[in-house]
Amino acid sequence: MKVEFKVDEKIHSVEIEPGEMLIETLRRLGYKGVKHACSTASCGSCSVQLDGKAVLSCTTFTAAVDGHDIKTVEAFSANGLSPIQEALLEEGGSQCGFCIPGFVVTAENLLEENPDPTEKEILDYLKGNLCRCTGYESQTRAVLKAAKERRTK
Amino acid sequence: MSKIFTEAQFSVVNRSIQKVDGKALVEGKPVFTDDFEIPGALIVKILRSPHAHALIKSIDTSEASKLKGVACVLTYKDVPHTIYTRAGQGYPEPSPYDAFVLDRKVRYVGDAVAIIAAESEQIAEEAMKIIKVEYEVLPAIIDYEHAMDENAPVIHDEPEISGAYDSKHNIASHYEMKLGDVDMELAKCDYVVEGTYYTPNQSHAMMEPHGALSYFDPNGRLTVITSTQVPFHARRILKRIFGVNCRVIKPRIGGGFGGKQAILVEPYVVAVTLKTRKPAKCIYTREETMTASNTRHAMRFNVRVGATKDGKLQVMDLRGLSNTGAYGEHSLTVFMVAGSKTLPLYNKIKAVRFVGDIVYSNTEPAGAFRGYGAPQGLFGLDSALDELAHKMGIDPIEFKLKNSIREGETSPIFRIMGEGREGVEQIIKSCKIEECAIEGAKQFRWYEKRKLPRIDKKKKIAHGYGVAFAMQGSSIPAIDMGGATIKMNDDGTFNLLIGATDLGTGSDTILAQIAAEVLHTTVSKIIVYSSDTDMTPFDKGAYASSTTYVSGNAVKHAAEKMTFEIIKAAAEILKKPVDTLKLDDDSVISDDGERINFSDIQTQLFYTFNQRQLEVTESFVSEVSPPPYLVSFAEVEIDLETGKVKVIDFLNYIDCGVTINPVLARGQVEGASAQAIGMALFEDHIFDKNGRIVTNDFFTYKIPARGDIMKIEVKFAESYEPTGPFGAKSVSEIGMDTPGPAIANAIFDAIGVRMKRLPIKSEDLFFEIRKKGLDG
Amino acid sequence: MNVKEYLKPTTIEEAYEIGQMPGSIYVSGGLMVAQLKVSRIEHLIDLKSTGLAGIEDSKKEIKIEANTKISSLLFNDTVSHIYDHFFQDSLKEIGSVQIRNMATVGGSIAFKLGWSDITTIFMTVDSDVEIYDGSFKRIPLEKYVSEKHRGSIITALYIPKKNGLVAFEKFSRSIFDIATLNLGLKFVLDEDFVKEAKIIVGSRPMISERIPEVENFLIGKKPMDALDDAGKLIEKTVKVGTDIRASADYRKALAGALLKKAMRRIYDEG
Repeated sequence: MKVEFKVDEKIHSVEIEPGEMLIETLRRLGYKGVKHACSTASCGSCSVQLDGKAVLSCTTFTAAVDGHDIKTVEAFSANGLSPIQEALLEEGGSQCGFCIPGFVVTAENLLEENPDPTEKEILDYLKGNLCRCTGYESQTRAVLKAAKERRTK
Repeated sequence: MSKIFTEAQFSVVNRSIQKVDGKALVEGKPVFTDDFEIPGALIVKILRSPHAHALIKSIDTSEASKLKGVACVLTYKDVPHTIYTRAGQGYPEPSPYDAFVLDRKVRYVGDAVAIIAAESEQIAEEAMKIIKVEYEVLPAIIDYEHAMDENAPVIHDEPEISGAYDSKHNIASHYEMKLGDVDMELAKCDYVVEGTYYTPNQSHAMMEPHGALSYFDPNGRLTVITSTQVPFHARRILKRIFGVNCRVIKPRIGGGFGGKQAILVEPYVVAVTLKTRKPAKCIYTREETMTASNTRHAMRFNVRVGATKDGKLQVMDLRGLSNTGAYGEHSLTVFMVAGSKTLPLYNKIKAVRFVGDIVYSNTEPAGAFRGYGAPQGLFGLDSALDELAHKMGIDPIEFKLKNSIREGETSPIFRIMGEGREGVEQIIKSCKIEECAIEGAKQFRWYEKRKLPRIDKKKKIAHGYGVAFAMQGSSIPAIDMGGATIKMNDDGTFNLLIGATDLGTGSDTILAQIAAEVLHTTVSKIIVYSSDTDMTPFDKGAYASSTTYVSGNAVKHAAEKMTFEIIKAAAEILKKPVDTLKLDDDSVISDDGERINFSDIQTQLFYTFNQRQLEVTESFVSEVSPPPYLVSFAEVEIDLETGKVKVIDFLNYIDCGVTINPVLARGQVEGASAQAIGMALFEDHIFDKNGRIVTNDFFTYKIPARGDIMKIEVKFAESYEPTGPFGAKSVSEIGMDTPGPAIANAIFDAIGVRMKRLPIKSEDLFFEIRKKGLDG
Repeated sequence: MNVKEYLKPTTIEEAYEIGQMPGSIYVSGGLMVAQLKVSRIEHLIDLKSTGLAGIEDSKKEIKIEANTKISSLLFNDTVSHIYDHFFQDSLKEIGSVQIRNMATVGGSIAFKLGWSDITTIFMTVDSDVEIYDGSFKRIPLEKYVSEKHRGSIITALYIPKKNGLVAFEKFSRSIFDIATLNLGLKFVLDEDFVKEAKIIVGSRPMISERIPEVENFLIGKKPMDALDDAGKLIEKTVKVGTDIRASADYRKALAGALLKKAMRRIYDEG
């Protein structure tokens, strides 16, 4: 079947299998920032924004996003690194980096909704984004720092 | 002579430079194995055994092979019958040779039966379904504690096996050492504690699944891009199996933790590429990564420790049993590290014994995993010492500190126990364990907290405070080698070519810092290229806490040699004696203030003057393995109604020498703590009666999520290791060792219950609480 | 997934008609369907295309249409204030932000999975469910979960206006895990005494269920006086099972613990 949707401001019109998951379509289209790590909606690595809200592309049918707007991690560094990306680098919040695209996409949502989150709110909002390298501490520091940076911008 | 450097003395080292690969990673650039697209690459899938132990009576691939889009289906009849070990270790490996790419016998649920290559994943999966396999199911050993039972089935009866200790009785490896007479000395002790402790077959659960991609390059050279910690070992083992030379490229790695210190996926894609001459890619699913790669060796330790009433620890006696699963990779060495990286911490003892068997069972193979045995050994040892201190009425910090090693001292165990063979003697040149314990206790407010009431009956919670002491090593001495090449360019930059394998740890960055420090330049001028067996010098790979220490020393030596070459060239150009010149700020300056920058030097050397490119290669093997030290403090809160344990504060006070990059070093310790909190409280594999792992994904196997990790603190002791590059020792593994015992000790402190099995599940703890009548 | 066709009917009637064909499955948020271990789906019927994602506030009840996302519920003023912050607190316990942005109320109930927190939460507040099976029918959620409704479509949930005090408790191994056990509690008090009680236990691991023995026991008592006895009684009466997350014995103990926590929560907040 044929679907049309926008990814990172670019319109794609693609032929898909009816049972295809969004992660497969996006990676096939070259959006390799969408990471495949679990397939069971349990890790957040495949997170993208669908109409501005973080969802899991491993469990979203591509057929269901026909006519919708998708943002991958690439959208957030289109004009240089975002404050979250900068802060991740400064705080060592990205070690192997595999979980980071999904993290960035979700953290952007957090700071949109809540520009001044507490530590507890950060942990809560990002609990669906697993990371095996950092122990989360540096990522929490990074979000706090990025929030501050965004507020003063 | 040890001296303490201050930050001011370094300009690049000991600073938190951003990771050189960081920008690409936070932007989500295509840098991982699965992100590489080679046109026409076949998709490779593995048909896996549904039985824990079986012989393939017949296998019919004819229908599957005929399916449109299927390139090949390979069985044990189609691949070389070469025995090898999957362990990525120095050669000759101390692990038994007991594995084939495919065999007629399958030894665990998930063992490979056939390799399918097709034009798409869907076709490969369809083909997989129509392969007809008839199995003769054999009795299996699912519980490793029964591996040596009389009449237990023999898992490795293949005639080709070599290097196993006693395969007829399922013993992959055996080790024993003793010093003094433990029974006699225990009899003299005033206090003795004995207990049996268990640690689980934890999954690495790195976020990036295993994967590899192979192809012939335009010149017909077989090339393998693979998510590995050991590219050079991978190349050597692939040559052994297939008799073909190849190039192994390591791109960015999405975490390894030891799980990628094994040759897992590479033989499957290479078999397909050799057969079809086509590119082939195999990316494991999460389920395969969880059930058909490797895990931590589950171990059981019976521990006896004894002390005299003057507070002196006199005896340590550890008898172990380790489960290596279906194959024996890392079996002997992981077990030995359970002793060799724990026992020397307490060097004032009269008698010590460390003995045990590493057994085969019909479960997922075990392998290398951060800590490499030390977390398993330390859980029992430190728990027992905590209990001993409690029995004696001594504070555990005082007891452990009193009996632990100091600078200028040694332990006979260093010489007796190496990795798979004898070790090396070493005198400890840096050990700040006193600072770690004393300052750590202050920061944690240990003594104040230990005076607080533990049980809050109204809120139905209890608090407890525990401490654990650990050591690790820095490299495998006299075995593991790392190399570095540095090449100067006419724009004043340097290519740093290293075989060292950054798997997310930041080693590319800290090695660039070491080079930049020596060369009086900045990290931005060091172009790091790592891990490509055709392009970079040899390096053992990323394991055994060796990259900073061994590869770092190699880089430092190479940079020092480059310094000499630059000065020699500058001396010729400037016509000044070598000893009047030194490096300064991307230049060479002379005593009298004349200056020529690196760019000018190399430009002249390229085009106009005594033409040559400055290029050096150095390598490094260590004579010693200086241990880092760590004292960790845990505060737990226990819900007495449910048995749920929260680690509300976890303080690490660590001596890892000089931190080359404080932010990255801190991240290593934080990450290890979290991974070990996972092992201590959450991570548990469950098997069904047929030996299938039921906890085969992130939905059922729970690694700690963000809110599960409440507070991890890291403090660095001021320390300088004279044999390390700029005073550095290792940092990446040691954090894995302490959380298990520190948390168990804290639980004991809270409610007087000694939990001897990790993970400490809420359920198990709850019933202990109820037994004591504390739940209501 | 192996799907023959993905269909987007615009009305419930049309969706239902297709749904009667063999090999049909309804999909709303997608999370559940994506996890199904079926080899082939003939007709995957997207219910989102029927709309039905609104929240209506009539004087006596709130109607939540089936395709409403959990996150929309969380941010909805009417819902979030109906029982003080009960919905906000309990809905936040479900999954993660991403999952709440995907999962719908209807989908969370229709699969009748034991671990659905939504089922326990909505049963606690006496919800009705509206289904379409050729005609629209309204039945108590409690009844719905115990019956078979093959091929039917959930179209809405109804929550009666606030009536009593409620609490929800969830125990899970990791903070990002489904419940090992969950429990909803509702009291209607007369002075300090329990006039009506409702206790729902879910993720037993079977589907959520009422515990009438303990409800009856509590009626006429002061909750805090009856706390320990109620805990002991629910341990005896709750029907639970063993799975990878917990043994039946531990689940019994958890039922007691969560009931006591819920009672204390109501007392502390009420």
